[in-house]
Amino acid sequence: MSAVRQALLLIALALVPAIGEAIYFRNRVSWQSPIPASELVTVEQAQSWGDNVIWVDARPAEEFDRDHIPGAISLNEDSWNELLPQFLGQWSPEKRVVVYCSAQSCNASREVAKRLRDEAQLKNVFVLDSGWEGWLKLNR
Amino acid sequence: MVKSFPWRIVALIIGGIFIYAGVIKAMDPVGFANDIDNYKILPWTIGVRLAFYLPWLEILCGLAVILGLLYRGGLLILTALVSIFIAASVISKVRGLDITCGCFGHASKYLSFFGHLLLDLAIFAGLIGLSISNRAQQSQL
Repeated sequence: MSAVRQALLLIALALVPAIGEAIYFRNRVSWQSPIPASELVTVEQAQSWGDNVIWVDARPAEEFDRDHIPGAISLNEDSWNELLPQFLGQWSPEKRVVVYCSAQSCNASREVAKRLRDEAQLKNVFVLDSGWEGWLKLNR
Repeated sequence: MVKSFPWRIVALIIGGIFIYAGVIKAMDPVGFANDIDNYKILPWTIGVRLAFYLPWLEILCGLAVILGLLYRGGLLILTALVSIFIAASVISKVRGLDITCGCFGHASKYLSFFGHLLLDLAIFAGLIGLSISNRAQQSQL
């Protein structure tokens, strides 16, 4: 069998477990957008919640130290175990948590938000859609 | 399939790397979908579907290279995949995106861009070496 035919066969074979896994995960994946619209907030939305928001800065510590949203708490994956208790100390059930990283393209805010939901079992955790850059544009 | 001992070892290492990378990503397809999305090359709707498919393709091709079944097809696909990974990583770097490649799931974040690039280039070289040695072996028969 030629290499191309072998490749086509492998491509077809890989579809079988992939489809099986996709069916298994079908209700746990957002197929249309990276973050379900219900978990994404704009800067304006988050600011309209006023004092009812805890801002979580998911960027590396050096970037947080340089500048951050006033009142934000640093919580990044590199120092998760050290920073989480500090965050939980300020958290209360009625507050909404808005996690941000540097820009729209970064991933850290999604990861931190996911861990807060999955590991810390928190509800009302949102991701700031335009990140720190978006907040800067509107506020400085 | 190559029969010479050194190339069998190379095939084992490269096949093993792809099986490992595939299993890690297959265990967390949503995380891998986010990694693909970070490249900002494909729309999410395509990226998330690829995230379910690519890990299994890597696993099957890794097995093909190790076991010698559909060997040349496996090599062809893996070479194409690594070429795409390298191109996408370089393009993203040029565009100023600070991302992890997601090649090894969340373990990827501990590797720098140049670390990834070197690893991908080494794998690419190994795959080309396996293809050449397989072809040389075929022509001797």
